[in-house]
Amino acid sequence: MSGWLAGIGGAVMTGARHVGRAGILAAATFGAVLRPREYRREAFVQAKKIGIDSLPLVLLVAALSGSILAQQSGYQFTEIPLWVVGNTVAAGMLTELAPLLSAIIMAGRVGSGIGAELGTMKVTNQIDALRTLGRDPVTELVAPRVVAGAVMMLPIVIFANIVGIWSGWLSAIALLPMTTHEYVYGVQNYYHAASLIFSLVKGFFFGITITFTACYVGLQAEGGAAGVGRTATNAVVSIIVLIMMLDVFLAPLYKAFQ
Amino acid sequence: MIEIRDLRKVLNGKAVLDGVDLDIHEGMSLVIMGPSGTGKSVLLKHIVGLFDPDRGEILVEGMSVPRAGGKEIKEIRSKISYVFQNAALFDSLTAGQNIQLGLPEEHCRRVPALDDPLVREAIEHVNLGHEVLRLMPAELSGGMQKRVAIARAIVGKQKYILYDEPTTGLDPVNANVINRLIARLQGEIGATSIIVTHDVESAFYLGDRIVLLANGRVQASGSPDELRESRDPIVQDFLHPKLETEEFDG
Ligand SMILES: Nc1ncnc2c1ncn2[C@@H]1O[C@H](COP(=O)(O)OP(=O)(O)OP(=O)(O)O)[C@@H](O)[C@H]1O
Ligand SMILES: [Mg+2]
Repeated sequence: MSGWLAGIGGAVMTGARHVGRAGILAAATFGAVLRPREYRREAFVQAKKIGIDSLPLVLLVAALSGSILAQQSGYQFTEIPLWVVGNTVAAGMLTELAPLLSAIIMAGRVGSGIGAELGTMKVTNQIDALRTLGRDPVTELVAPRVVAGAVMMLPIVIFANIVGIWSGWLSAIALLPMTTHEYVYGVQNYYHAASLIFSLVKGFFFGITITFTACYVGLQAEGGAAGVGRTATNAVVSIIVLIMMLDVFLAPLYKAFQ
Repeated sequence: MIEIRDLRKVLNGKAVLDGVDLDIHEGMSLVIMGPSGTGKSVLLKHIVGLFDPDRGEILVEGMSVPRAGGKEIKEIRSKISYVFQNAALFDSLTAGQNIQLGLPEEHCRRVPALDDPLVREAIEHVNLGHEVLRLMPAELSGGMQKRVAIARAIVGKQKYILYDEPTTGLDPVNANVINRLIARLQGEIGATSIIVTHDVESAFYLGDRIVLLANGRVQASGSPDELRESRDPIVQDFLHPKLETEEFDG
């Protein structure tokens, strides 16, 4: 009877502890980010890793989702003009799929990578060694990754949008009784600069969430190789949940962009 | 001077350190011995503020380590270097870059690690060739990693050097090289050393004072001669080779 109550209490306490610790790390990270001179070089290294690591997979998924959007809307819109397909693909890619799916791919590739890397450094005393050498792990490790993640998400989201809308066009003219002209008309009918900005704002916050969460989880790692394995898994799961939650809160923001 | 007063630390419900008192005077070398798992490494980590004690005080030149803020702890750490038991080299950096991390940040930004005369000198001290500087830690043997870690600790010529089992895993020749290096640093730059070791011979060679840590406390302490003549059964037990089996669970 009191067992499950204690269980819930324990879970709430653990959650609160994580929120507190993550808050402290976030404050330290924010302070460190303001001193780019100290981590600039590492940020470039990370940007290259983060961008190049994920781009091929992100683009593949963007192409597939653009095609799915085009086909599904084309098959289902029987009562309305087909140019709406262009409109639907653009809206779907820009508002949701480009930033969200890119973020989920990045969670799998970048999030697990950072989690395992920092986790290994933690359990093998490298983080402690950094401290004793007078270096600050937040400046040396967290700040460059978070900045690189936030910045690299912008080109990634732009490319994902372009590729998704392009593959939607390819599917539309190949599989649906419509022309390039109609598709382009539909895309233009939806597109406005603000929708792209909304897409980028989401990407930016997702980029921060992915890298920061991975760093936080990595720095909490304990217990040797098994601990590092758990850390990488935890990083990916936490990132995906947080991104979906963030997405829900960012959705109303769209109205502000119109 | 480093002063440790009534230090207590509970880890996983067990009082690993339970009232440790130690004074380490300038220029002296203190050897800490004791069975595996008694908290020797935990004790060293407290001195550089990697652990917060549950009770007690640690003073480095009068500055409290547990109560130090961000700036003070940085100042304290700038006086101390630390050789981790597991070397703890950075996997993503070459041996040379690892060693250079023992030098101030501005210096590292200015001089490439491979050309750094201080780095080259440090690697010679630990009996490794310059070609090792460009290798990654994963390409080094365990003993080589340990020696690179020692080079990283001595390159900055800090006043206090903490060695956590510096010769464990080394062949007798290189263990000798390291022991002589520790002794020489003490003589030449007046370094104050704290050395954790399981090797009785090294302990007697290096220690101005030897302490025996067991059950969370200092069980015995004295100069090598005093310990050798001690009739204390704990000391005698420990100095006799039959206890060498403890090395297996280390
Ligand atoms: N980070 C930690 N979290 C929890 N317990 C720890 C931690 N580090 C060490 N301990 C525990 O503290 C005790 C002392 O560990 P410590 O590493 O200081 O032993 P040691 O005397 O250095 O042994 P050895 O000679 O084998 O290196 C052990 O029981 C260990 O389980
Ligand atoms: Mg130890």
